Amino acid sequence: MKTRFLFPYWFRYLGIACFLVHIPIMLFFTKYHNMDSTDTGLFTGSHVFFIFTTLMVTIGLFLFAFSKEKIEDEQIMQLRRDSLQWAVYFNYVVLITTLIFTEHMEISHIMLLNMWTLLLFFILRFQWVIFRLNWSAKKGD
Amino acid sequence: MKNNIRVERAIKNITQADLAEQVGVSRQTINTIESNRYVPSTVLSLKIARVFGKPLEEIFMLEEGD
Repeated sequence: MKTRFLFPYWFRYLGIACFLVHIPIMLFFTKYHNMDSTDTGLFTGSHVFFIFTTLMVTIGLFLFAFSKEKIEDEQIMQLRRDSLQWAVYFNYVVLITTLIFTEHMEISHIMLLNMWTLLLFFILRFQWVIFRLNWSAKKGD
Repeated sequence: MKNNIRVERAIKNITQADLAEQVGVSRQTINTIESNRYVPSTVLSLKIARVFGKPLEEIFMLEEGD
């Protein structure tokens, strides 16, 4: 089946690698470097570190979310669309509720987290329906 | 929508996996179509009908309420 806008299957492993790589870097950096809050401005140590780790996680999630399945067919495509819609709905419900129930100062943190939550909800839901599909097919035989 | 893929498969003596391979989908998709949990696209329906060498309406039929 022709699929547009999807990465090849092996990109999911690249995505997992990106995600895993940021963990030791994060642990190392936060242990040995003092995250100095006075260190502000573009491309200073903490800013570069922030960009690097945030991008690593985002790219990792993105590649994992939008790589092809082993057998790509129309049902998988439909499940992907459903999951995406579900993730957008869920994400906005969570976003709006957190905006209502948090103080003004924390909004930038919420927006930052929001960069990942949509992808995360999508991945969780999509993997869950695929798992259920495989499970019911196994049971059906 | 109902279908009698399971019956046709039995007549032709092929497995879900065989049929899936011939029409280019996963076995899970054939499984969900057979158990009426997934409605295939027109293209896929025509492909399945072609495997069994029968017209589309002998394999897929509308139900009350469709």
